[in-house]
Amino acid sequence: MQNNPTGVVPDSVNNTITNKHFKFTGKGLEYFSIWIVNVVLTILTLGIYSAWAKVRTNQYFYGNTFLDGSSFRYTAKPLQILKGRIIATILFAIYYFTTIANPIVAGIILIIIMLFVPAFVVMAMSFRLRNSQYRNVHFNFDKNFSQAYKVFFIPLIFVGCYLFLIGQAEHLQPGDREQSGNAIFGLLILGVMLGIFVMVPWWEFIVTRFKATHAKYGQADFSFSATLKNYYGMYLKALLLSIIIFGLLGAGIFTLQKTQPDEQSQLLFASMMSIFVFPAYLWLFAYFQTKRTNLLFGNLSINGHHVRSEMTTGRLLMLYITNTLAIMLTFGLLMPWAKVRTANYKASITSLDVAGELNQFVTSQEQQQSAMGEEIGEMFDLDLGF
Amino acid sequence: MIKGCFFDGKTSEKKDVLLYCNDNGMLGFAETRHGERLSGETPFDQVAISSRIGNTPRYIDFPDGSQFQTNDNDAIDTLINDFRDDFFHGLLHKLESAKTIVLITTISLIGFGWLFIQYGIPYGSKVIADRLPIKASQYLGQGVLEVMDKQWFKKSRLSIERQQALLHEFSRLKQTIPDSDYFNLVFRRGSFIGANAFALPDGTIVFTDELIHLTDNNNELVSIMLHEIGHLKQRHSLRAAIQQSSLAVFIVAITGDISTSSSLITALPFVLVESGFSQGMETEADTFALEYMQQHDLSPLLFATMMEKLVVSFSDTYAECLETEKTNNAKQCIQLALQSNKQPENKKSKGVMDYFSTHPGSNERILRFRQSE
Repeated sequence: MQNNPTGVVPDSVNNTITNKHFKFTGKGLEYFSIWIVNVVLTILTLGIYSAWAKVRTNQYFYGNTFLDGSSFRYTAKPLQILKGRIIATILFAIYYFTTIANPIVAGIILIIIMLFVPAFVVMAMSFRLRNSQYRNVHFNFDKNFSQAYKVFFIPLIFVGCYLFLIGQAEHLQPGDREQSGNAIFGLLILGVMLGIFVMVPWWEFIVTRFKATHAKYGQADFSFSATLKNYYGMYLKALLLSIIIFGLLGAGIFTLQKTQPDEQSQLLFASMMSIFVFPAYLWLFAYFQTKRTNLLFGNLSINGHHVRSEMTTGRLLMLYITNTLAIMLTFGLLMPWAKVRTANYKASITSLDVAGELNQFVTSQEQQQSAMGEEIGEMFDLDLGF
Repeated sequence: MIKGCFFDGKTSEKKDVLLYCNDNGMLGFAETRHGERLSGETPFDQVAISSRIGNTPRYIDFPDGSQFQTNDNDAIDTLINDFRDDFFHGLLHKLESAKTIVLITTISLIGFGWLFIQYGIPYGSKVIADRLPIKASQYLGQGVLEVMDKQWFKKSRLSIERQQALLHEFSRLKQTIPDSDYFNLVFRRGSFIGANAFALPDGTIVFTDELIHLTDNNNELVSIMLHEIGHLKQRHSLRAAIQQSSLAVFIVAITGDISTSSSLITALPFVLVESGFSQGMETEADTFALEYMQQHDLSPLLFATMMEKLVVSFSDTYAECLETEKTNNAKQCIQLALQSNKQPENKKSKGVMDYFSTHPGSNERILRFRQSE
């Protein structure tokens, strides 16, 4: 049947730019009800319902996120997720029990899993985006596996080397440490660690760029305009700030501690002052998270529509503190409220500079994806997606 | 007529339309301004209607890939009621939106969670720990003493005679207790840990010099050995390890779909409950010691006396006395501290802190042994 009510395709290419804000309309109490039903049904079905719970949760958060009057939609089927979850659970169980029974075999399994990480990332991105819809046009991820392996190749080698060296170090006897061979060994570990340290910004940049530029909405590609310089700049600033903050804090505690009469009260004083380390750490964390979010989303664009991300450290820090306190004091019961607030804040700081209209995106045909990659990723705590 | 938007599924173009459904179950669209009907109708049973979640928009998917989106949830629900006899559709939403159900569920979840943490996990851990071979416990205990030696303990300065006398008592105890072959008594100087005794998972019991200095009566120390053997016999460290890991799994399972960092935060308050676990274990170890003493003609008072000495060994009076005497005459100082503790103004009331310490309610424990005399 034909169902084209107006039959008119807008031809006006109007290039005036209007800034459209994302809006989140979820309510804490409303989500609490959904969450609690999810939890209870998950317990009653011994975990099977968790796949349905995940879908309903995502549908709630997607459905409450609006852009230009239309909401997003999560379209994954619970059964797909359940299948992925079962496979991931079996894999994880095998891995877990081999770590107890035979650490060497477990190490081999871990290496094999690591070899599949790039594939999992592609599969997970693909599953998530394929099941995200806006205005009846779904998102996509270009399944370019060879590109993914190129991007992840060097990081995987380094992390593999590091894990291998650390594993070897555990077998060393304390007495062996004085021998000269071990000095070289120590230098090797140090070198690999330094290499990882220096290269982290670069990796984050290429991985983020890979994910962003292979994402699609309909047939349109996302583009990513951040540069390698931006990423090194961000990390360098964060590093300098932490050196300054912790340096000052450490020096302050150290000098003030000298005013105490004896060793015992000096120790007590120092441990009391270290309470201040936590807020400093939290602030730095919020700062870094803010810069990273703005750098990622603020540089995304699609078909000439640019995303704006205006997160601020202060607001994010307040959100972290209040959410953490609320969750802790209520033994997790206020978790739904915290999650809604977070979504609300994230939507409120994100907007799209729309050039003309959001009408011209064309659907692409894509096969449904398996949920395996995403579920395995979640099991092994890989950071997938944005 | 339901107000909403139409998307043809080919492009992202949005059109405001009205959805109508006529009496014989055909769905069609009308133009918003004049309500003029547009061409094409679809039978109701060929469309897929998304289930209701909170107040998020509803979607009707048509077989040709086009879509109708509306915020008017109630109108869609009425439509479903009229044309589809499906009990399950909307059932979840009914559960989620019924305030009484949500309230009852919340309360029962809290109750269930509490019961599970308080009784379920400890019981389950006990069952599992009892079924695991002794090797599992020994495996867990590998290297624990080495770490403690490195971080806390110093070499014992106890005389060989005293050590041998205590080891003799210990091996006599072992002969009367089944399955105690792998138990082992060692001596260490506790330094800043002070007077204390530990039962390690691999069957090693550690006595600090400071503990032994508190008394000349070896039978009092035997009562402490019995308490520690109680810990070992009931595999408390294995149980604690199982409890802690299953508690973590339980919390993550409940708060489920949140990131790992926040589940750690959620787990923090449970640390309080966790120390309650060990409280129960202390009582169990006491029970073992008490029963053994009653069966073997040892006075329960021995344990009570030793506990009192242990408690006052952490008092300021004792520390000051040791400081001034310089002779390390622990026994005199303990007597002094015991005296000063008996004076009413020094007697501490049962503090709130009791719940937070792992050796809680010492007074209650001492009383239990006194009353059993």
